[in-house]
Amino acid sequence: MFDNIPDSELKIVGKGVERIDTVEKLTGAALYTGDWVVPGMLHGKVKRSPHAKARIKRIDTSKAEKLAGVHAVLTGKELDYRVGLYLVDKHVLAKDVVRHFGEAVAAVAAETPAIAQQAVDLIQVEYEVMTPALEPKAAAQKGAPLVHPDLGKYDYVKAVFTPVPGTNIANHTKLRKGDVEKGFKEADKIIEREYTNPNVQHVPMETHVTIGQWMVGDRISIITSAQSPFTVRNLFAHSFGISHANIRVYIPYVGGGFGGKAGIHLEPLCCLLSRQAGGRPVKIQATREEEFSMLPCRSGLVYHIKTGVKKDGRIVAQKMTMYWDAGAYADYAVNVTRASGYSAAGPYEIPNAWVDAYTVYTNKPFGTAYRGFGHVEFSWGMERHMDLCARTIGMDPLKFRMLNALKPGSVSLTGEHITENTGNVRLCMQEVADSIGYGKLSAAEKAREKKTGMKIGKAVVALHKAPAMPPFTGTVVILKMNEDGTVTANLSLTEIGAGTYTSIVQIIAETLGFPVEKVRLPVENDTDRDPYDWQTVASKGLLLSGNAGILAAQDLLARAYEVAAQVLRANPCDLAHDDEKVYVAHHPEKAVSFKAMAVGYAYPDGNAIGGPLVGVGRYVAQGLSNLDKETGQGHPALDWTYGAHGIIVEAHPRTGEYNVIKVASAFDVGRAINTRSVRGQAIGGMLQGLGTAMCEGYRYAPDGRLLNPNFTDNKIPTSLDMPEEIDCIAVETPQIDGPFGCRGVGEHSMIAICGGLGNALQNAVGADLTHMPIRQEDVWRALQAPKKAGRK
Amino acid sequence: MLHEFSYLAPRERKDLLQLLKKHSSQARLLAGGTDLLCEIRLGTDRPEVLIDVKNIAEFRGIAFSEQDGLAVGAAVTCVELMEHPVVRKRFPLLAHAAGQIGSAQLRNRATIGGNLCTASPCADLGCSSLVLGARVELVSARGTRVIPMKDFFTGVKATQLKDDEAVQRVFYPVVAAGAKWGMEKLKRIKGHDLAVVSVAIARTTQWLRVGIGSCAPTPVVAADLPPNASVKAVTEAALKAIDPIDDVRASREFRLAMVQEFIAKLLPALS
Repeated sequence: MFDNIPDSELKIVGKGVERIDTVEKLTGAALYTGDWVVPGMLHGKVKRSPHAKARIKRIDTSKAEKLAGVHAVLTGKELDYRVGLYLVDKHVLAKDVVRHFGEAVAAVAAETPAIAQQAVDLIQVEYEVMTPALEPKAAAQKGAPLVHPDLGKYDYVKAVFTPVPGTNIANHTKLRKGDVEKGFKEADKIIEREYTNPNVQHVPMETHVTIGQWMVGDRISIITSAQSPFTVRNLFAHSFGISHANIRVYIPYVGGGFGGKAGIHLEPLCCLLSRQAGGRPVKIQATREEEFSMLPCRSGLVYHIKTGVKKDGRIVAQKMTMYWDAGAYADYAVNVTRASGYSAAGPYEIPNAWVDAYTVYTNKPFGTAYRGFGHVEFSWGMERHMDLCARTIGMDPLKFRMLNALKPGSVSLTGEHITENTGNVRLCMQEVADSIGYGKLSAAEKAREKKTGMKIGKAVVALHKAPAMPPFTGTVVILKMNEDGTVTANLSLTEIGAGTYTSIVQIIAETLGFPVEKVRLPVENDTDRDPYDWQTVASKGLLLSGNAGILAAQDLLARAYEVAAQVLRANPCDLAHDDEKVYVAHHPEKAVSFKAMAVGYAYPDGNAIGGPLVGVGRYVAQGLSNLDKETGQGHPALDWTYGAHGIIVEAHPRTGEYNVIKVASAFDVGRAINTRSVRGQAIGGMLQGLGTAMCEGYRYAPDGRLLNPNFTDNKIPTSLDMPEEIDCIAVETPQIDGPFGCRGVGEHSMIAICGGLGNALQNAVGADLTHMPIRQEDVWRALQAPKKAGRK
Repeated sequence: MLHEFSYLAPRERKDLLQLLKKHSSQARLLAGGTDLLCEIRLGTDRPEVLIDVKNIAEFRGIAFSEQDGLAVGAAVTCVELMEHPVVRKRFPLLAHAAGQIGSAQLRNRATIGGNLCTASPCADLGCSSLVLGARVELVSARGTRVIPMKDFFTGVKATQLKDDEAVQRVFYPVVAAGAKWGMEKLKRIKGHDLAVVSVAIARTTQWLRVGIGSCAPTPVVAADLPPNASVKAVTEAALKAIDPIDDVRASREFRLAMVQEFIAKLLPALS
């Protein structure tokens, strides 16, 4: 879809067009699910487990049922539905056992939230508390107590995943490239270390919220804050054996998702409560505490990397072992494991590679998609490790990265050949290196050090990510011309904040030759109105839906030209158009307006032709394949978006206090469809990455209780935590099958920030860290260690 | 989280005292509510009655005289403290400490009385008021008593306050006006956070005091040290006064180290 159109010929694409949802969001006019009230609506509340692992001996709901105003009380006992996308391992409410702190064990629907809560408090649960599994490496061993003894009976996507029944391994992704043992023999140095990440919460501003209604004739109506209306519908249909046609999912404005609202969450519980309550709609709005433990988080990771390096800096072999801490349910974590397994080395060429990536069940809140889909986590280890390797052989870390970076002619871990048009990670690194003055301190920086007593360190890190999606992922855009010659577009991506909708409007408007004001893309989604899309995840929306938008616009124009050719008695090939009319190219005065053709062209006597104008654009990913289960070889990547960050940090050599002075980020976006959106994504993701890097993360008591399910002790960065200076750079190596040559960049800005911070801190004061987040105390502690490798 | 309670908002001090007498342990006093409402939402406090003190004149306002020193009404907000010209000029440590609490939105609501009566070990107005020699005025239908702040705190979130008593004012003596001062607060982010460790120092010609937060069950003070006490001597006195714990915010070891760092940083730079 890349027509190599120079920027100068584009009117709308490539410009910083204002977002289409700005006014509604800034004025408060935008309605979110929490704003919705449905006639007859009840309110649901959930009873949660205070234990990480326990047998449910007895649940007494009798007092709750008797409370005035209560219409439904449910426990896991009376429900036998499992829900899942990749590995169907989760009951709607815990059945017989609880597997994590905060797990839903019972639920109530009542006339007010207060009554529902009162009823929940009246439910008595008797537990037999058991010892939880909290360490993924230990839980992965043979003979470890099982979190899911029935793993062998669960349904899963067999072409892609490999559960190991009788263990806690929900999936084992393997990748084998070249001969890793031979590679290690050739190496001059072998460098081996382990890196760890905790669970992290997405913290969207809007918590999960759903209104579900189970109506007569098993017709289901769902209003929900979700990323993917059709996946909610599909999973619901599968879990309950209801026809897709009977289920309507409506998604109003969404207050952030970051992966936490991919798949399906509160929808089944709301609908089951509704069924129990005789069909009255039931709303559940998760509290922030529920967001932390009842709803999913990001998986933890233990990442062991062993690298063989030649003296000249070439990596010759790398063995990578990932223990993904999926928590109590692994439905989504198995795919995080798969996606990070095939890109585990980062944007570097490894001639001989070996990956074992395990998804491990533990008794913690469960993991799901989170912006970056595993790449934020493994890049922490990988980017720290790249610096360790460079240091070990005495080479500059940027030079080491440049030498090993993927480039045209390289072969990826899965055997994919990198071409000129895959993207340019080396240019991204060079851009950010230049931006931060890599490798030296400016006079101003030296003066600052002198004044503050802090030491300044700099680092450059690189990243890559491709969409993690089924190889056959497809989408549709439908363009409908309105009576006045404007067009309304329908599609089923959701606008979760990334700005993709505005970019797609730009793509459609550019293709039509219309101004953006003439293209309406309603922000709300409705499975009864809009055509199919798989999910709003993976940074794939702009590429796939953008292409569908181009095809829909071309189709709409072709339909209009057919009518115009008749009206004007011309060949369609001789026609041209502007934003008002279609005309004969060599006789521009012979024209017919879009308005006249919009709903069927009528001659003066009333006789009509054409009918309403609709354009349809269908697009499906091309040339992708499932990966071979033994070798991991195949074609998983729709597109690779490369990027790099340059970070300047100052740190106190004794207390470990540090400040991020500058972050420069560059991404090879192919073409920036909306320059302002690219910058917005770059800055937002960078700050979210800093949150992960500096302060966020779950902390557990030895019994598996979550100690910080709130913002008091799970700190997230604020506006005051922004770096002093930010630079965003778009590199544009066109993606041949991207709309106008573009690639997705929704997740990438968050990746590798952690490793960059860690490396810059080490360069500043010598703190050598392998666990994130990097709190001041961690730096301080590392500085107590005897050996320091920082700047003199 | 949706506990129901009665809300009473007396306009006269005498009515307040009668209501307190009547409801006693069933009642909680509401000032800014920035701690209390969170406790109620979490279900860790379930009062029957909330009695709002914000309408009562005796609980509002800041007064200063060279004889009696500074008197701050319990319902005075952090922002009022931060912006008051006399507080800024004569008790800059107090204005600074008030500015350390929460975020701008919280400081518009949160009050000195609330911060002290919550009696968290990390109260920003705790360690700072201690070094200024603050005294607390407790009122009830039975009468009025004034006690030193160091006696007011009795444990984690515990004070001397009886069920029928309210803190009406906090007094700061004239001798502390114009004291040289410094304060450091260790946070986990640059945005709003409670103190993981805090140290406040005040020095006059007569004495030097160091107050420490988040390192003992209550904010504590090492007083009175000679005004020319060395970093070593002050550190020793401070370490003697504290007994930090390991928790989700920091380890004991790190807290001890930061107290020492802060003293070493603050003492030579008191302004």
